[in-house]
Amino acid sequence: MDNLVNTILLMLEGTKTTLNIFFITLILSIPIGLLVSLSRLSTIKPLSWLMELYIWIMRGTPLMLQLLFVYFALPMVGIRLSDISAALLAFVLNYAAYFAEIFRAGIQSINRGQYEAAKTLGMSYPQTMRRIILPQVIRRVLPPISNETINLVKDTSLIYILAMNDLLRVARTIVQREFDMTPFIVAAIFYLVMTFILTWIFKRLEAHYGKYEV
Amino acid sequence: MNNQPIIKMHNIHKSFNGISVLKGIDIEVNKSDVLAVIGPSGSGKSTLLRCLNNLETIDDGTIQVAEDFLTTSVNNKAVYADKITQKRILSRMGMVFQQFNLFPHMTVLENLLEAPVQVKNMKKDEVLPIAEDLLHKIGLFDKKDAYPSRLSGGQQQRVAIARALCMSPDIMLFDEPTSALDPELTIGVLNTMRQLAEEHMTMIVVTHEMGFARDVASNVIFMADGNIVEQGNPETFFTHPQEERTKSFLTNMLK
Repeated sequence: MDNLVNTILLMLEGTKTTLNIFFITLILSIPIGLLVSLSRLSTIKPLSWLMELYIWIMRGTPLMLQLLFVYFALPMVGIRLSDISAALLAFVLNYAAYFAEIFRAGIQSINRGQYEAAKTLGMSYPQTMRRIILPQVIRRVLPPISNETINLVKDTSLIYILAMNDLLRVARTIVQREFDMTPFIVAAIFYLVMTFILTWIFKRLEAHYGKYEV
Repeated sequence: MNNQPIIKMHNIHKSFNGISVLKGIDIEVNKSDVLAVIGPSGSGKSTLLRCLNNLETIDDGTIQVAEDFLTTSVNNKAVYADKITQKRILSRMGMVFQQFNLFPHMTVLENLLEAPVQVKNMKKDEVLPIAEDLLHKIGLFDKKDAYPSRLSGGQQQRVAIARALCMSPDIMLFDEPTSALDPELTIGVLNTMRQLAEEHMTMIVVTHEMGFARDVASNVIFMADGNIVEQGNPETFFTHPQEERTKSFLTNMLK
């Protein structure tokens, strides 16, 4: 029994690292993703192309490779980051690209008539985006954002490659030391609890932002 | 009746990807006039309206609204006014769309308040009585806190009219305002428009409602293939059309 409590305490410590990466990545990559999507849709062609290139690279290579690159390759050009900063940089860059594409799809799904109505009422482009388009986009992108967010919870386990003690790495260490599979089950339960809470939050958000729908 | 034109469009040319949809249109609208624009689909009548309020750009021609020029024609090319003039011109015109285009995430009242507050920087308290007055006028005050999805098409379109009026325009443009509605629901919308005409609002109405054009319009234009085929006052236009093209269109419409 003592053993189990000990295991759980150690794994809670690992969960802290997991949640740290999760929250900071989420908080930074959503606004960055929005900016990237707006730039990608910009009529300034070079800006749009640059964003396309960025999105292509981030979605086209494994997140694991990006983590290794930031941590091991950047020091060669004199950029040395702590393990947590390196992990965050890679995660934020990667997730912002995915969020950008989600936002782009959302923005493009809004009927042209909404822009025209706003324009004939004299609203500027920033006013139209802020007041008319984005509030409707939020409603539409919540389901795919929820998907990505749940993915992020699980993707955080990749940081073991930088020797960071996240939830899964802690579990594996204990398993290997004690020849007992319980930590894996505990880890699974931890992940399930986290994703359950997220699912619930997104359900509430969808209800809140969808209240104008029949 | 004031006979100074408030809208003058001269020699308007517009093409989409090389296909000419407006081939040198001239129209004049006097203050308090109601101009009905009729014609078959694809005749360019909606495009004409959309060019007037800058939702489309024209290739050549002059567009004048009151004393301001939206475009002038230089070497057979339309040259647009600066942004400030454009803004001033557009603020004189309200637009009503076939698909209503209400903001779905805002209540009826919020739809009305949005532009005056955001664009004219008016205080909510200043706009509120104007908006509530308009809602009383269209008979939808009791729906002020409803979202558009809860309203019928006809109710949505009346709210769209009120939303445009809330910016106190001098001119109202209607782009087939009843074409997306069941016949039963068009009556309410047409009544609201009729009421507006009686209050001497200057209106351009692109429509398939011949009855409305006949009763309410002061002038009727018939367009086909990017040209104005015939125009006149509704009385002579509907009873004694001159052109064959007009006659066949009217026969089909009134069948």
